[in-house]
Amino acid sequence: MATFELDGSRLLKVRIDGETFKALNGSMVAYDGDVSFKRQGIGGQGGVKGAFKRKLTGESLTLMDVSGTGVVYIANMAMEINLVQLAGERIWVEASNLVALEAKLKTDQKFNGLRGATTGQGLFTTTVHGQGTVALLSDGPAIGLEVDEGTPLNVDPQAYVAHKGQLQQDFVTDVTWRTAIGQSSGESFQLRFQGQGTVYIQPAERDAGIDV
Amino acid sequence: MSIQTYTAQSLPSDDNINAYSFCVDVNGEYFTQKGKMIAYYGQLKFEALTAGSVSSLIASAFSAPLYAHDFIIVTGHGKLILGDRGFDINSYTLQDGNLTVRAPNLLAFDPALALKQSIIPGFLTLLGTGRFLASSNGPVHFINPPVRVDPQAVVGWSDCPSPCHHYDAAYMKGVIGAAQAFMGLGPSSGEEHQFDFTGAGTVLMQSSETVRESEALVREMESQLGLLGTPSLEHLQDQIQQRLGQQR
Amino acid sequence: MPSYSEINSKLVEVAVNAGEQVLARRGAMLAYTGDVRFKPTVTAGSGVGGFVGRVVRGENIPMMICEGRGKVLYGALGLHVTHVALSNDQLTVEADKLLCYDGTLQAGTVFLGDKGGFKAVVAGQMTGQGLFTTQLSGSGNAVMLSHGPVFVLDVDGQSKVAVDPQAYVGHTGAINIKLGASVGWREAVGRGSGEAFQLKLSGSGQVFVQASEERL
Repeated sequence: MATFELDGSRLLKVRIDGETFKALNGSMVAYDGDVSFKRQGIGGQGGVKGAFKRKLTGESLTLMDVSGTGVVYIANMAMEINLVQLAGERIWVEASNLVALEAKLKTDQKFNGLRGATTGQGLFTTTVHGQGTVALLSDGPAIGLEVDEGTPLNVDPQAYVAHKGQLQQDFVTDVTWRTAIGQSSGESFQLRFQGQGTVYIQPAERDAGIDV
Repeated sequence: MSIQTYTAQSLPSDDNINAYSFCVDVNGEYFTQKGKMIAYYGQLKFEALTAGSVSSLIASAFSAPLYAHDFIIVTGHGKLILGDRGFDINSYTLQDGNLTVRAPNLLAFDPALALKQSIIPGFLTLLGTGRFLASSNGPVHFINPPVRVDPQAVVGWSDCPSPCHHYDAAYMKGVIGAAQAFMGLGPSSGEEHQFDFTGAGTVLMQSSETVRESEALVREMESQLGLLGTPSLEHLQDQIQQRLGQQR
Repeated sequence: MPSYSEINSKLVEVAVNAGEQVLARRGAMLAYTGDVRFKPTVTAGSGVGGFVGRVVRGENIPMMICEGRGKVLYGALGLHVTHVALSNDQLTVEADKLLCYDGTLQAGTVFLGDKGGFKAVVAGQMTGQGLFTTQLSGSGNAVMLSHGPVFVLDVDGQSKVAVDPQAYVGHTGAINIKLGASVGWREAVGRGSGEAFQLKLSGSGQVFVQASEERL
């Protein structure tokens, strides 16, 4: 079985002995052993499996299969790496924050509806489900924030990393939030989570223009 | 290592969540820099400083007109989580004191403190008693004067007099200037030009960063144009044309 | 010998005494106390050491010599610093990842690829990421820069270590580097420009790798 282990907070060590795991394309920084790589075709292997649309920007991210024998070191832009164990549940992930996962986990894309009639922009979120380990990237250590009935949580979309549980996610555009974000152009919004679950955020704003 | 998880109740109260994020218990009014809030629980309202709703008491605390666009007022009750580009965040308490900080590094502050523009362009001075948050690229390093610091590495200073400019003697004699022309090095670096701190106090520094082009710096320069007469303005225009020409 | 202490992950303090020299990339001096002076190596006429990195990107990384008596703080661009003490050893480091080093160390520029065949590859396709690097040898201190902290991999006769060139920071010891690529890497990375290769390391020593593909 491929074992995922962190070395420090920004480096993921994956030991494989004949198995395969999935990692963000190009995220291998070093390895020791006999290792081969296979790009997951876009549209191949069940369509969206290999290629994720990056939420909002439409940029697509692809995963590669890594297999062989040895230790593979995975990292991306010196970002923190967080391991999340899934025991059959589903986690929603901002696609650009996904860096590696066990091959037995299933990935999917969920359509979260249109965000406002004016832009007509659809929102996709990548989901991962099954039993196993998934590695998430965050700019600075990720923070989990619990949501339960009566305590909704508001999140800057630029800091959103992932969430799990029975959560309803709304896009709230209001004037005061726009003031707070300080975006002079474009339309800004906040994510509001209600229900029961956990939201993961990072202590930094994603620099890509996230407003549509 | 699993992700540290909090509830609205278990989040720290006016303390760091980790080195790069800070949770503020908002209870009333609070100043923060725009765009630095990453999440919140509770009933919070965000207003521009220019809005008519700002009370005169609050307006009197904020005496830095060139930076009014960079800050907002948060009102209400709740847990406000702040983050800044993954920079380290530290909380400081002033006890009837003064501290001058590079404007983009000032994240948030109590309205109990008075904020004024420093004489040094691009810096803000906090006066009085209260708490504020500042960010830095890597942990803050404290040094006591006398010390000379690359301006880009200065986060701020407390108690000591405002610094003056120091130029390397060889640079002044043109030795390095000539070498620069020969090597095509461009403008002076930290080795040739520093902020010179003297007196009793503390200097806060960080690893240098590429200082972001600050809108406030442009506003600061604009605000001084009124002091110039026609010949000076024409001279400035020529200089700007030349610079633009070089950049194309 | 000047003494080095890491103040934090991004700042290093060097105490210089009379008669000693520290070379650092221009602009990396962030603060100093005491009586120290800085001069460019070009006026000091120290040759190669003054222009590490010239061949790497067609860019000069001019070095400044620090002399005198005092304490100097070095750091650059918010990057992480890693201090390496050499004792009759050599450190090979990418020129743009070298922050500062003792004047007692000999600096030179070396070509990392092993045979002429690779030169063509390098010249033609590796624009921007040179295999010409700086080599420091002798006894003394050096400080490397990296995006995020570096991790160290041991290289010996048993290991089959390969490193992404963009994550490679430097190495110590007697290590040979060959260009290569494992099965599928080129396609996986999807870079058409020939950047899609790896540095395959053999010999014995330690290699420093940053957890990032960011070029400095």
